[in-house]
Amino acid sequence: MTAIVEIQNVSKKIKGKTIIDSVSFEVRKGEVFGFLGPNGAGKTTTIRMMVGLIGISSGDIKISGYSIKNDFEKAISHVGAIVENPEMYKFLSGYENLVHFARMSSSIPKAKIDEVVELVGLTDRIHDNVKTYSLGMRQRLGLAQSLLHDPKVLILDEPTNGLDPAGIREIRDHLRMLARERDMAVVVSSHLLSEMEMMCDRIGIIQNGKLVDVQMVNDFVNGSETLYEFDVAPKEEARILLQNMLSDSELKITPQGIAVPIKKEEVPSVVKGLVTEEIQIFGVREITKTLEERFLEVTESKEEAAHV
Amino acid sequence: MFKLIQNEWLKILKRPGTYVMTGLLVFMIMFVGGIVKYQLVKENPQEDKNWKQTMRVEVNQAKLELKNMGHAPKQVVEATQKNIALKEYQINHSIPPTQKYAVWDFVSSGSGMIQLAGLFTIIIAAGIVSSEFTWGTIKFLLIRPISRGKILVSKYITVIMFSIVMLVILFSLSSLLGVILFGTPETSVPYLNYLNGKVTEQNMALHLIILYGMKSIGMIMLATMAFMISAAFRNSSLAIGISIFLLFTGGELTGLLALKFNWAKYILFANTDLMQYFEGEPMVDGMTLSFSVIMLAVYFIIFQSIAFYVFKKRDVAA
Ligand SMILES: Nc1ncnc2c1ncn2[C@@H]1O[C@H](COP(=O)(O)OP(=O)(O)OP(=O)(O)O)[C@@H](O)[C@H]1O
Ligand SMILES: [Mg+2]
Repeated sequence: MTAIVEIQNVSKKIKGKTIIDSVSFEVRKGEVFGFLGPNGAGKTTTIRMMVGLIGISSGDIKISGYSIKNDFEKAISHVGAIVENPEMYKFLSGYENLVHFARMSSSIPKAKIDEVVELVGLTDRIHDNVKTYSLGMRQRLGLAQSLLHDPKVLILDEPTNGLDPAGIREIRDHLRMLARERDMAVVVSSHLLSEMEMMCDRIGIIQNGKLVDVQMVNDFVNGSETLYEFDVAPKEEARILLQNMLSDSELKITPQGIAVPIKKEEVPSVVKGLVTEEIQIFGVREITKTLEERFLEVTESKEEAAHV
Repeated sequence: MFKLIQNEWLKILKRPGTYVMTGLLVFMIMFVGGIVKYQLVKENPQEDKNWKQTMRVEVNQAKLELKNMGHAPKQVVEATQKNIALKEYQINHSIPPTQKYAVWDFVSSGSGMIQLAGLFTIIIAAGIVSSEFTWGTIKFLLIRPISRGKILVSKYITVIMFSIVMLVILFSLSSLLGVILFGTPETSVPYLNYLNGKVTEQNMALHLIILYGMKSIGMIMLATMAFMISAAFRNSSLAIGISIFLLFTGGELTGLLALKFNWAKYILFANTDLMQYFEGEPMVDGMTLSFSVIMLAVYFIIFQSIAFYVFKKRDVAA
C-alpha cells in the first residue's frame, strides 16, 4: 500500500503558542486512519492544515505528491472533506447545495449527484430545504458533498457527531466500503476510542499538539487489560482479600466498588475466593477503559522509554 | 469563473431579502410617479405663449443682480452665470422652457433613487463574503480546487452585476412609468449642457444614461468599500454601517470640509461626482477631471488590495 497523504514535520504556531508540534505521519491508500485525541488536542487544527484552510507554520503536507502549500489546487482536487460541523446553505435544498459544490470541481455529471445522494441515503429528502434537516441528515449531506468529485482522500472531522447508533453504524460501513472498494484513503478524527476500534485500521494518537503514537488498531486494543469492577460489601475487607489474592495487580477503589485488572478467565476464581470469605457480591461488570486512561498508559510508557 | 458567478446568483436569488429589496425599489418608483402625477393634475400648469418675452425680462434682472453681487460666494455667482447662459441659449435657439412634464423629466428625477439602489448594492456587497463565514459554509467553499483569489473575483463581479441590475430596473421602470403617466414630449427636446461658460445641446436619452452612470460612481465605490470590509474583517454589520453612513453623509461632510481645507480634495467623496466637471464647478479649486479619475482609481486599488491580501492570507478557523 502506498502513502497518499504525507504529513512531514508539521507545526502550527498561533500568536507565539505552539498548537501543533512537529507532527509526521502517513496515510495509505485503502486504509481508514483514525486520528484520536482528547478535546483540544489539535485534531481539527491538523485537519485544517491538511485541507489548506489555515497556513502551515513549518513542515509540509503532500497529497498525492502535491504540496498543499505550493500546489494547492492540484493537491486539494484529490480531497473530499468535512471540517467540524457540516454547515450547508440553509436556504437552499440539499440538492441545490450539491449542485453548487459540484460546479466548483471540473465536470461532475448530474448522474454523479444522484449517485452520492443514493449512497448516503438522502434520496427522499434531497429536494427539501436544508433548514428542515436534522443534524444526522446534515452529516449525510456533508458526506455526499465530499464524495462528489471521487476523491482519493476523504478527511472527516468527527463524522459520527450527532448521529444515532444506526447512523453511526451506517457511516462506519460506508467508510469501510469506500476504503476497500474504491481504494480511498480515509482519515477520521474522534475522541472516542470505541468508535475508532470499529472503523479504523490504524490510529494516530495526538495529545497536546504532539503525535504520541501510531499503531495498528488491533495492537492498540490488545495492549490493554480489561478491568472488572466488583460491587461488594464490606469494601475494606474485600480490598485486603483481593490484594492478597492478586499480589502484583493494582487495585482501585471506585464509587461503585473495587476495580481489578484481571483477565476474563480469572473472574470465576476471584468470585469464589470472595464468596468463601463471606464477602457479599452485588455485581461484577467489565469496564472499558476511557480514552483518557488509555492515553495516560500510552503517554506514560512513552515517557518512561524516553528516560531509560 | 462563469460557474462561480452562477453559484453566487443562485445564493442571491434564493434568499427572500433580495425580493424585498427589489420590491421596495419598484414600490418607490411607483410612489414617486404617483406623487408627481398628483401634483401636476392639481397645478395644471398653463403654457406661456410669450415665453421669450418673459425670459428676456428674467435674464435682464439676473444680469442686474450679477452686477451688484460684489462679494457674494463664488457658487452663487456661478449659478447666476449658468442661469443666464442657459436662458440666452434658449431664446436664441427657440427652445421653449419646460414644455410639459414628460417622460424624461421623470427619468431624470428618478436618478435620485440611485441612492436606494446603492443602499441595496451595499447590503449585498457587505454580506457576500462575510455571510459565508457566519453560515460556516466558507469551509466547504475554500476546499475546492479553486484559488481564493478567483472566488473573491467572482463575488466582486456578482456585486457589480447586482448594481447594474438595480440600475436597469430603475431606469427602465421609470421610463415605462414616465411614458404611461406623463407621455412623450411632442417635439424631441435636447438637453442643454453648460460647461466653461458655453452651452451645448445633447441627446436627451444619452444625457440620462450618462447621468445615471455618473451618479452610480459613488455607489460603486462604496459597495467596493463594503466588499473590502466584508472580505477583510468578515463583519457584515460593520461593512453595512460604515458604508451606508458614508453613502448618505459622505458628500455633505466633504463639502463642508472643502470650504475650509484644500486637502479635502483627496477625500473619496470630493471625487465621486464627476458631473461637477461637466456642469458647474469642482468642489475644490484646482481639481480636474483627470485628478478625480486618478483619485478614484487609487481608492479602488487600495480597497481591492486590502480585500485580496487579507482574504488570501487569512487562516480560516470559523
Ligand atoms: N485560532 C486559535 N487561536 C488560539 N488557539 C487556538 C486557535 N485554534 C485552536 N487553538 C487551540 O489549539 C488547540 C487545539 O484545538 P483543536 O480545535 O485542533 O482541538 P481538537 O483536537 O479538534 O478538539 P475537539 O475534540 O474539541 O474538537 C486547543 O487548545 C485550542 O485552544
Ligand atoms: Mg475538533
